[in-house]
Amino acid sequence: MHKLFASAFVCIAMAAGGAAVAQPADNPLLPEGPGRDRVVAVCTSCHVSRAFAQVRENANGWKNQVSEMILIGAQVSPADMDAIVGYLSTAFGPGTRLPGPPSQAVDLPDGAAKILVLGSCARCHGLDRVAGAKRSPREWDHIVERMAFYGAPLDEGQRKTVVAYLTEHYAAK
Amino acid sequence: MKGTGGALFVEQLKAAGVEYIFFNPSTGDAPIYDAMVDQTDIHLIKGVQEGVVVAMADGYARASGKPGVAIVAAVGLPNAMTQLVNTYKDRIPLMLAMGVPAREAESRGGAQQYDGQETLLTPISKWAWRTESAAGLPDITRKALKFASTRPGGPVSLWLSEPGLREEATATIVDEAAFNTPISMRPNKADIETIARLLIEAKNPLLTVGDEITLAQGEREVRELAELLGLPVMGSAVLGQWSTPFPTRSPLFLGGLQANTPALGQVDIHLNVGSWLGEQTARGAKLISIRQDPATLGRATPVDMGVIADPKLACADLVEAVKSLATKDRLKKIADERTRRVADYTEKARKLRHDVAMQFSTGSPIRLNRLAFELEDFLDKDTIYVADLDSGRKMEPLMNFGGDDKMYIGNGPAVLGWGISAGLGVKLARPDKPVIALVGDGSFLFGGPQPLWSLSRYQAPITVMVLNNRSYNNERNRIWAFGGGSQLSRGLDMTCYNGSPDVDIAKTAQAFGVEAEQVNDPETIKAALGRAKRANIEGRPYLLEVVIERDGIGGASEWHPPFSIASLRTRKV
Ligand code: HEC
Ligand code: HEC
Ligand SMILES: Cc1ncc(C[n+]2csc(CCOP(=O)(O)OP(=O)(O)O)c2C)c(N)n1
Ligand SMILES: [Mg+2]
Repeated sequence: MHKLFASAFVCIAMAAGGAAVAQPADNPLLPEGPGRDRVVAVCTSCHVSRAFAQVRENANGWKNQVSEMILIGAQVSPADMDAIVGYLSTAFGPGTRLPGPPSQAVDLPDGAAKILVLGSCARCHGLDRVAGAKRSPREWDHIVERMAFYGAPLDEGQRKTVVAYLTEHYAAK
Repeated sequence: MKGTGGALFVEQLKAAGVEYIFFNPSTGDAPIYDAMVDQTDIHLIKGVQEGVVVAMADGYARASGKPGVAIVAAVGLPNAMTQLVNTYKDRIPLMLAMGVPAREAESRGGAQQYDGQETLLTPISKWAWRTESAAGLPDITRKALKFASTRPGGPVSLWLSEPGLREEATATIVDEAAFNTPISMRPNKADIETIARLLIEAKNPLLTVGDEITLAQGEREVRELAELLGLPVMGSAVLGQWSTPFPTRSPLFLGGLQANTPALGQVDIHLNVGSWLGEQTARGAKLISIRQDPATLGRATPVDMGVIADPKLACADLVEAVKSLATKDRLKKIADERTRRVADYTEKARKLRHDVAMQFSTGSPIRLNRLAFELEDFLDKDTIYVADLDSGRKMEPLMNFGGDDKMYIGNGPAVLGWGISAGLGVKLARPDKPVIALVGDGSFLFGGPQPLWSLSRYQAPITVMVLNNRSYNNERNRIWAFGGGSQLSRGLDMTCYNGSPDVDIAKTAQAFGVEAEQVNDPETIKAALGRAKRANIEGRPYLLEVVIERDGIGGASEWHPPFSIASLRTRKV
């Protein structure tokens, strides 16, 4: 019965409409693993599992994400926190395959940070997401900070190099 | 009484207890305004866009429980309709009137007429009628007010024939008590006993609550019922609910509606009172729904037992029935045991939310968590909190509403652009309560700056807070998170970034004569709220533009599709 509601609620939560994504009874996007039952119980009450199954983050990032959901009403008991974050960061951590069609190949221009971008930015999504738009230096700075928080393995100096590279090659006028 | 149709209309409104007419004028309505020249107990409140007019009347109705009365130009009706959707979906009593030419004249097709104009309102009016003569106008006005307020309430519309407004006639004016008798829908005794038994025997019961309780002023009764039996309560929703009928501070309150209740486990008896949404959270339990709206009871989800009744009376009767079916001691034992279980969770959850929010509450742009803490700390408990928010609703679980705490008034369908106007209407209904109206930057721009005009003209001493994240932030969150299409996979926010141009909202308010400031540093929120409060105390509105973080998926992005019309030109003209 509640499956019906889960999809209805996505409609509700989606405000201005858009088709509700049906929630298949068996949550095929959620691989087996410890903590899965807690995640199904807690995280599919308001939206479909795709909302998180398409996101890649390390444990830090997931902890933050789960915290955001607790703030808007997810019923996570403190005792389950570790199991939920553990499941999410294993099933949907950096390096795990994204659902959906493969990303488009991107030819990165040569430069000091090419190797860093190849090595760190393609771990969670395609490079087509990285190189898809021209952005201001401020924006590149924010984005790279955020990606590091999610789990891009870059120290401060490397982040600076990556921002400089992205700003040089993908800069908004 | 003898008078023009306009005068008869005004007298009938007065006799029905109407104190305010929210309006935007047109030539044909003039006899109504002529009749206002010498009036002292009924006032005109002008809005400079029809959506503002309707939202002011709507806010007034929500806070006063009386029907809002709005008059707009028929040509401006489509502007009014957007906001009327809030009124219609939330079942708020409101009468919308427009002047129209005589039928025969209309058939010739005037510059501003189009055939079938009246049908525009059909899906969002509870009732609509057209008046022809002055003599008949008071009678039809009475019916309109009656139908607007008979529960379940809603907007009604009147098309006032302009010749009928101008001509003189004699008609009887009738006091409200003689035509609008409040209905008390007492539930069937046997049903109440059945429900009372189920609630007593239940192993794991749940109560979901909704706006019909607020409309019936049954907050005290529902609380008594929940406390008598130790029922865990869920209510409130991101969309579809506009009030908090149950005190969110209560240890029994589990939070917003959702399909699973991991905190409770499998529920066996689910009692839903006054919420169409609550029914839709069916969870494999026996579902009993007490509703005052027959049209939506069982509409989306089958119920095991449906009861049409006034929620206030139903809860009062349930309390009596429960008391008659079990001894005081037994009830206390049941309630204590259930309350302990749920309070154990709600206390921990409250602490967890607080701790989590504390970790993410510093820095600039200001985070919603921080703003929630500051508001909760600063606002007086008798404040009316008028919310037309999307992302901003994430502050609510960190704040307290209902019961002895702040009164929450929102808009169920979240048709944006409502909040500032509604805030004025609320203040008009409850001038002795502090009022804060909160909107997002998106909502602010939907409403446009026009409500500021009315705030300024009528010295409405309310605080307006605009949460400016320069984005349709939560719209993007939903599009990216639930849709997961190519905008996410390519990292391209095609629709939601608003920061270019970066509208100076505080300056906009100043242009309308409303004092305003921008707040960027979390450390300065309190002082800014203090300045707003001071201005309100002195009788002036005050706007705070709070620059907040874009949070959620894709929040760092400022990119928007680059396109310039100037660049299309082949010559510089
Ligand atoms: C109380 C309802 C609710 C529950 C329970 C819930 N979510 Fe969400 N979630 C939402 C809503 C609403 C959004 C859309 C935007 C927002 O508010 O951030 C969302 C969005 C998201 C996003 C997109 C990022 C974002 O912040 O927009 C992720 C990832 C996510 N949820 C993961 C989870 C996980 C993991 C859980 C379980 C711990 C969970 N959700 C439980 C309501 C919920
Ligand atoms: C640990 C996982 C992870 C890594 C590593 C990662 N990203 Fe991301 N990236 C995400 C997620 C999740 C999103 C989804 C949107 C969001 O939350 O901002 C995203 C979105 C984006 C976007 C879209 C704009 C936006 O703000 O959402 C860009 C651009 C981007 N990443 C660039 C990069 C770059 C450049 C790197 C390397 C420095 C990188 N990503 C590394 C997880 C990652
Ligand atoms: C009149 C109206 N038009 C469109 C929408 C669809 N819509 C839902 S949320 C939203 C964006 C809201 O932006 P804002 O008020 O700034 O909220 P936030 O950024 O805090 O999420 C839009 C456009 C709506 N709800 N109402
Ligand atoms: Mg916004």
